[in-house]
Amino acid sequence: MAPAITVEILDNVKADIAISMRRARKAFRGLVYADLRLAVREGQHATAENGQPKHGGRDATMGLGIRAVAGGKTVAAGYYGRQLGAGELAKLPEIVREGLGHATARAGANASQKTALKRQIAGLGKSLTNTAFAPIDVRQEIIAAQFEIDPRSVPLAEIIRYTTEVSRTLTGLDRAIRYNQVTSLTGLSRQLFASSEGALIDQATALTEGGVAVVAEQNGIVQENWEAIGHQRGFEVLLHGVAEDPVHAPDLATFARELAQETLALCSAPPCPTTPDPVVVVTDPHFNALLCHEIVGHPTELDRALKMETAYAGRSWLLQDLATNQIGRRIASPLVTAYSDPALPGYGHYRYDDEGTPGRRVIHIDQGIFQGFMNSRQTAAILGAPPNGHAKATEAFLVPLIRMSNTVFAPGDRRPEDILREVETGYYVVGHKIPSIAESRENFRISARKVYAVRRGELGQLYRDGGIMADSRDFLMSVDAAGKDFRLFPIPHCGKGQPMQTKRVGNGGPTMRSLARLTGGGR
Amino acid sequence: MISRERLERAVHEALALLRSVEDVREAEVFAASNQHLLTRLHYTSHLPCNGAEEPKSTLAYGIGIRAVFRTPTGVHVGFGSEPSDLTAEGVRQALAKARQSAVPDPEFVSLPQPTGEARTLTRHHDARLMNLRDTDLVRAGWKALRGALRTFLSSRRLAEVAGGRRQISSLGLILSGDVSIVQERIAIGSTRLPRVQTDESALCLTFLTAMVERFQAKGSGWATGWRLSDLTEETGVQAARAAIAAVGGIRVRSGSYRVILGPQAVTDLMTHLIIPGLTTRTFYAGNSPFQGRLGERVASPEVSLYDHGAARGLVASKGITCEGLPTGRTDLIREGVLVGLLSNSYETERLLRDPRGKEKLGTDPRRGRKALVPRNGFRRGTGGGRHFDRPPRIAGTNVVLEGKRPLSARQLLRLVGDGLYIGRTWYTYPINGLAAGDFTCTVIGDSFLIRDGRLAGPLKPNTVRINDNIQRVLKSIAGVGQERKGTFAWGADEVVYAPDVVVEGVRITEIAEFTEQL
Repeated sequence: MAPAITVEILDNVKADIAISMRRARKAFRGLVYADLRLAVREGQHATAENGQPKHGGRDATMGLGIRAVAGGKTVAAGYYGRQLGAGELAKLPEIVREGLGHATARAGANASQKTALKRQIAGLGKSLTNTAFAPIDVRQEIIAAQFEIDPRSVPLAEIIRYTTEVSRTLTGLDRAIRYNQVTSLTGLSRQLFASSEGALIDQATALTEGGVAVVAEQNGIVQENWEAIGHQRGFEVLLHGVAEDPVHAPDLATFARELAQETLALCSAPPCPTTPDPVVVVTDPHFNALLCHEIVGHPTELDRALKMETAYAGRSWLLQDLATNQIGRRIASPLVTAYSDPALPGYGHYRYDDEGTPGRRVIHIDQGIFQGFMNSRQTAAILGAPPNGHAKATEAFLVPLIRMSNTVFAPGDRRPEDILREVETGYYVVGHKIPSIAESRENFRISARKVYAVRRGELGQLYRDGGIMADSRDFLMSVDAAGKDFRLFPIPHCGKGQPMQTKRVGNGGPTMRSLARLTGGGR
Repeated sequence: MISRERLERAVHEALALLRSVEDVREAEVFAASNQHLLTRLHYTSHLPCNGAEEPKSTLAYGIGIRAVFRTPTGVHVGFGSEPSDLTAEGVRQALAKARQSAVPDPEFVSLPQPTGEARTLTRHHDARLMNLRDTDLVRAGWKALRGALRTFLSSRRLAEVAGGRRQISSLGLILSGDVSIVQERIAIGSTRLPRVQTDESALCLTFLTAMVERFQAKGSGWATGWRLSDLTEETGVQAARAAIAAVGGIRVRSGSYRVILGPQAVTDLMTHLIIPGLTTRTFYAGNSPFQGRLGERVASPEVSLYDHGAARGLVASKGITCEGLPTGRTDLIREGVLVGLLSNSYETERLLRDPRGKEKLGTDPRRGRKALVPRNGFRRGTGGGRHFDRPPRIAGTNVVLEGKRPLSARQLLRLVGDGLYIGRTWYTYPINGLAAGDFTCTVIGDSFLIRDGRLAGPLKPNTVRINDNIQRVLKSIAGVGQERKGTFAWGADEVVYAPDVVVEGVRITEIAEFTEQL
């Protein structure tokens, strides 16, 4: 009987993998670089609907991803990925060899085609260059997961019971709640990264998340809400909430109840008006988390700026080419500073990315001036910048892409209540819902969970189905206040790549005030 | 890839083992082997690039078990899976996980049972696509890139605007996208089904975006196929031609426009609003924009919409669902009237017994049973595949939109008179939740002004946003084109066979004027 998959089994293969990767260049002709990620994830989950248990599960998965750079005079990359079972651990050296073989063969064929095309299409072949990586410090390090309650120690039956109980509470809250779904997951992951350069990073993380969906209907008005809480910690996140500045969240039961009550209140609210011109809007930290994600985080991913995502996630208005771009230019008011920082806690926390690069804080906007991008080793080499450790994949068998870590608007020095009190006429935009962003991130429309009218500094009418729309630069340039109430939130579904990888990242910010068009419904 | 015979044998052996387990009342075994091969392309004439950025693959196989257990507290239902092990040991592991995860779901009726329909599709793909070599994968990508670059190089228009053929590269030419091959093999058997069945399919999808970036001119090329010979350079040629045709795009002012939505724009609406709103699961939850309207008019009488998972020659066809039931045609909207929903076995059965079923559907579920046949229970993952490690959910297959009186391209243009052709949209999301039907998106390419019933010149990409409502749009369809093209959206489950569609009064807002000064 094969040993069960656990994060501990990586101890058995770690040394051999490091050796295999260090020797890979000798073992495969034409190979100039290779790296490997081998990851185990042990997790438990439960789903309940309308107070009834629907699913539960306790499982462990293992994945392998290999990148090779190979060729002759010209080199190119090739990749290989697969899921693994417990019975395959004994055959791992063979599987790694086979994977390296496929990745190297693809890289070699890729390099040959590159060479051939350069020759065949001379006029347009000049930009086809060698695949090159910016240098990094090659490290060997072990990073342990942080948690109070080991995600594996909680009996699955208890997770199912707790999740069902939370759902049952919502069902009993009000007859107008027509549907609710509550999900819980808690798990432990561990990934080995080894490269032909000699890197060996052994990084473990815990992750716990709760999700709540509510559909309510009153007087023919249907309102739906979905939101999640989570942190890179153990099951205590759902039982007791989080109070680890700047990450704060209530326990799952409180969170679910508050979301349900909010959804009910919205059923009685009138639809949000649409304004023809920009109006004063005060946006709260939760709304700004998604706003920062969309108009700062995504356009500062260097793969996107270098047009690598043109067919999928889009480009960036911040860079036309290496000579024409916004680096060093004002793109926001002096009150706006924004950065990505893997050292912050939350969903975007890590020590090393999936290329073995230490994660570093990247300042994107410094008091309104655009400074730079998140990068990978390959894109850093193209731009001539130092790698800052933002290449991440959602699974070991998938290819790393440039992803946000914790991307945030920095706090200002104003009290949020003062920011609101100064508004003569405007709107308070609370909580994010759904985004729609222009292709190069130059314009956005994002819906809010709630919109309030503000008159003479006081909150007035609550509206449903509202949000704001603006050109990104106009919004950033119009910011005239930033609060000191900085918060960081989990963003659990960030899609990028092909096949699409849905990743968890952290985003946040303080209360801010700016100008935008208010948007309502379209009926 | 694991052979079909091996998967079938594994299911037979697993069922035999499960039948001998005392507390197992019902069991379903699903064995699958999937491979996704993909070459991602990235070419820029003005920035260093690799041409083919990522030739890659992901491979997975294993066994999944759904089991119904007799327990002292009643019937419990659970699911468990085991990767990379089709032996009796793998079955025991998966069963142990199913037992551990089992819950007393009061809405569970039984594992999927025969619907009375027969399987109509077998051996429907090109076996050669199952045996693609590493070099074939890489070559397929470069072939498409070569097609695009040759088209750029031979363009007189580009040579003219660049000031000579040698200067073409300075225009900022981009080619981005991928050539993707999805290989799927499954076997499924259950104590509720008469026999073990297998299915095998492979499809290729190519989606490319080309740009002449100096002019923000963008065009798309895409193809779907299920034969090795479908992987040609034509998609690259198509994308480059479309980008060249978009040079010289202009802005339009905010307002209400009569538009033709092209296949990509129609597919975006299908994938993000219409298909998610036409499932039994959404109706159960109460957040469909079509809630309570089965049997009612929800769209213009010009419009009919169906899903057909067993249509020979359409790329997303399968012989059976991932519940072992026959695929087939589900009419969703017939001449504007909502007549059916996509479903799997679990959702059909629970909606049939839902005390609020009549309110949710708008008709007594038992009288509307034909509208809820479970032909769409699939175990999809992002980017395709039929995965052993998850229970079935509802997913579309080949979604076909057709018109009552299909019109030629010329007739559609004449119908519009003055307006816009919108070929490609972006981030098309139900901005206020699915139930409200409000959506927004931006227009990112392949779009033109229409004047006097003719295409009058390109619309500049990323300069307008659509803010509208799907119910209003469906009712405002004035014409549907004759030609349909297999089209897919990024990360989507289904392939939409989408024609051009004329819609009255689409609300458009001009955006991002600041980018003109960058």
